[in-house]
Amino acid sequence: MSVQPINSHTSAGSPNQTGVKPLFRARWLRWLNRRLPPTQMVTLDHRKLFVLPTGAGMGLLLVIFLLWLLGTNYENNLVLALAFLLVGLMVILPVHTFANLSGLRLQLLDTSPAFAGDYGQARVALSKTGKRHHERVQLAWPPEEGLLADILEDDAREIRLDLPLLQRGRVRAPRLHVQSRFPLGLFRCWSWVDLDAEFLVYPQPKPAGPLPFGASVGEGDQQKSFSAGGEDFAGLKNYQPGDSLRHVAWKQYAGGRDLYSKEYASGSDVRLWLDWDLLGGRDVEVRLSNLCAWVLEAERAQVPYGLRLPGQSIDPDLGAAHKHKVLSALALFPVQGVSQ
Amino acid sequence: MSSSVSQLQSLLPRESLLWIFAAQLAVLLPHTMHLPVWLLGAWIIAVYWRLEVFRGRREMPGRMAKLVAVCLVVAGLVLTYRRWFALEPMVALLAVSFTLKNIELVSRRDALLSLMLAYFLAATLFVFEQTIPYAVYGIGCVVIITAALVAQQGRRSARPGRALGVSAKLLAQAVPVMLILFVVIPRLGPLWAVPQNTKAASTGISDSMSPGDFSELSKSDKPALRISFDGAVPPPEQRYWRGLVYTHFDGRRWSEPGAADGYPSWGRGRSNRRAYNGGNGDGSERELPAVGPRYRYQIIQEASHNPWLFALARPHSETRGVRETGDDTLVYRTPVGARLAYEVRSWPRELVGDSEGLSASEQRRNLQLPASGNPRARAWARARFEEGLDAEEISQALLSLYNRSFVYTLKPPALGADTVDEFLFSTRQGFCEHFASSYVFTMRAAGVPARVVAGYQGGEWVEQQEYLLVRQYDAHAWAEIWLPGRGWVRVDPTASVAPERIRDGLQSAAAEEFMQDAFLPLHKIAFVTRLRLQWDMINYRWYQTVVSFNSERQEGLLRRLLGEVSSLRMALFIGTPMLVALLLLLVWLKLSSRGPALPVASRLYLRFCRRMARAGLSRNPGETPGDYARRIEQEQPRLGPMAVRITSAYEKAAYAGDAQAEKQLRRLLRGFWPLRLSAQARASARV
Repeated sequence: MSVQPINSHTSAGSPNQTGVKPLFRARWLRWLNRRLPPTQMVTLDHRKLFVLPTGAGMGLLLVIFLLWLLGTNYENNLVLALAFLLVGLMVILPVHTFANLSGLRLQLLDTSPAFAGDYGQARVALSKTGKRHHERVQLAWPPEEGLLADILEDDAREIRLDLPLLQRGRVRAPRLHVQSRFPLGLFRCWSWVDLDAEFLVYPQPKPAGPLPFGASVGEGDQQKSFSAGGEDFAGLKNYQPGDSLRHVAWKQYAGGRDLYSKEYASGSDVRLWLDWDLLGGRDVEVRLSNLCAWVLEAERAQVPYGLRLPGQSIDPDLGAAHKHKVLSALALFPVQGVSQ
Repeated sequence: MSSSVSQLQSLLPRESLLWIFAAQLAVLLPHTMHLPVWLLGAWIIAVYWRLEVFRGRREMPGRMAKLVAVCLVVAGLVLTYRRWFALEPMVALLAVSFTLKNIELVSRRDALLSLMLAYFLAATLFVFEQTIPYAVYGIGCVVIITAALVAQQGRRSARPGRALGVSAKLLAQAVPVMLILFVVIPRLGPLWAVPQNTKAASTGISDSMSPGDFSELSKSDKPALRISFDGAVPPPEQRYWRGLVYTHFDGRRWSEPGAADGYPSWGRGRSNRRAYNGGNGDGSERELPAVGPRYRYQIIQEASHNPWLFALARPHSETRGVRETGDDTLVYRTPVGARLAYEVRSWPRELVGDSEGLSASEQRRNLQLPASGNPRARAWARARFEEGLDAEEISQALLSLYNRSFVYTLKPPALGADTVDEFLFSTRQGFCEHFASSYVFTMRAAGVPARVVAGYQGGEWVEQQEYLLVRQYDAHAWAEIWLPGRGWVRVDPTASVAPERIRDGLQSAAAEEFMQDAFLPLHKIAFVTRLRLQWDMINYRWYQTVVSFNSERQEGLLRRLLGEVSSLRMALFIGTPMLVALLLLLVWLKLSSRGPALPVASRLYLRFCRRMARAGLSRNPGETPGDYARRIEQEQPRLGPMAVRITSAYEKAAYAGDAQAEKQLRRLLRGFWPLRLSAQARASARV
């Protein structure tokens, strides 16, 4: 199969969600890429972690300053001592906040495909590399809220992270925001981890009417329907009045089952083909969405189906693997498509 | 237990609320001593409301309700205080703000804000009191507030043991930084005038003296002064701690001269310009005696809520805010609202007499008498004067009168209108104030300038003369008369009646009556007395080292620690502990992050070594795997081939990164039990 251009879509993928100047952002991302290159397994350490006071931390700094003023003006050593104690707290806290994340290992296990407009899910394993606990670790793809995890006595745990996916194709997940404010909420330690996660996004299903049984926009070659009756036994179908009695499956009827008539095919193709060409005149994406909806419907109805796209075709079949194969083909269909 | 961030972070869970309330209560409780009690009531209502909201029984207050609450509380404050630029209303305002915050305590942000306020309010506690119990309580408050911060980090952290544990651990680690900063950070001194604690009643000696005042003071054994000497110590009979000079007498009450008349100081002639010598720095204005000071001492004075300080005669102080008055005493720029330490140098009067005479206004002031009253005393004085006696002789006559038939008692009979007459000629029983008052009155009536001096006399040594503890019951009143050519001379009429009062203190002079009204006669139990002195000692040390640590002491301490205070040494002093702390932290980080460091092959090989050791052949330190295998071959030939194979597999796996070899190593080890093998060998040998 031809190599599909990756429909790369770095949707939310920005550590800076606020509108920072593009130039600055690009530079920042380049720097991050150098510092934290994409990899499916990351152990957080001093090169990957950042620590700064939170708003509350800044608040405490203000309190310390006010206490210093109070202590100085009243020449009160106990007030000053308290202010200095809080300074001490602010000195040691970043170390603790840092230590809480340092040594945490994140490993991308897999990602589940999803339909556009839905959430993709990534399984990530969190584990300790040392004895230290990792508490209140917040993992999120901003602006999603993500989740909180504690890695305490047990060495590892598995979490599932959801990412909203808007566009079909292969979507690279943005950098994952890993953050903790432990232990006092006065400092936060964070990292932007690129787990090299990629989601396969199927087109968003859009209803396209009933399944196109027997319909075919033929190029005139072998794939014709309405040509039942040949030598090759093709299968059983429900007996309908008017079917030739010669074709009734008497054996099955004698076995206590319903009346079936045997179907014979002669070189002609009566299978369900979901054909790109059936949906002529529509936009590429809409066509793909419609095909996607048919796939789901056929899967629901348990009717074997095949897919025909410009340049490729997948023979009819049923089952999860087949569905995935078909939907993948839809997902990875070139953006520009093929104009008719 | 991962959970959605939104669930856990937007709303305050129960334990987080409870921790905040606990921290607030801890901070608020001691404040109820200076703040109006209704504030605590308001706090309880706010907390109750918030908890009801939590239980879902009530709604969060609406805008109207909040407005009403704010108005009520502000009205309460206005009614309670009526003035704003003072300490209590400001602290009250802080307490009010976090009380009101409680009814809209919704988000994490509110919680953190409330706790920041709590830190501040905890610190204001120290503005009121700096004693050891308060300091300990304050530390407790900080631990609880920090624990409340910890508790905001989810349910696990909110467990009391853990929250307090983490808080205590963090604060303990912050202590070294605090100590360094405490020693190093310069003390700038007040940047602007701040409101002082005004509400407290003044204690100790007041600005006037009427009969009964001093016997009231004698009932209190509270410490008043703690005095330590640098060098010479005055003998007991010289320990007169002058505080106030009363020159005005209205027939019953002695009081300070009106603040309006500028009275001259003892560098007369030039100092009429200014009543007070303006603090430190302009000592040059005064003509200091040529002879060096006899006594250098430091006085720590308990809060008296009065501005006057206490010192020996002829004091000079360089301590910031301390000034000298024209009456030879010291005053502080504000009422002493908390313990205050000041350094004093004193020149005894014998060395530097006042050579110049009294100015006319001084003369007038020190001869002032009420227009009428006490005719017998006046007559007695006039008679002495007409006999041609000079000032000293008149004084002698009066003192011998006291000496003959007067009784020193804490419970003198009440006096009528002519207090001096009644005391001198009928009751003849009195306390120091009676003696001083009648003495000065009579001397003035005889034309000798005289004045009453109030202060403390004596004191009790603590811990081998480390410092002199002066208590309230050492309060004393005596007299000073002006002798031409000699200046002011101290005369203590009490001494001529009860010399033991001066020598041994009140306790022995009035043993019968002393502290009779005390609830428990603790002063009579030697053990308790010793214990109390010990406690006073601890307090004194606490005050000396912590509370009164000022820029001078800071410089002294730094000089002692560093030799000299240069920027390099300061940098080393601050930097070295920081570096050490940083290194320790790094080591800790390294150690606690050490996990499964060894590669698989090494672990497997170590397992092999352990099994061999159990079989009685352990690997020597530093022995290479190859040597070890050869040794096994020699000493235990049965195990030899296996050991060689294992060793070579290990070497391939570890050094060549051969995955196949690692698997082989694992397989070989599975069947390698040297202990069992040798046991089997032995068994078969026996058979």
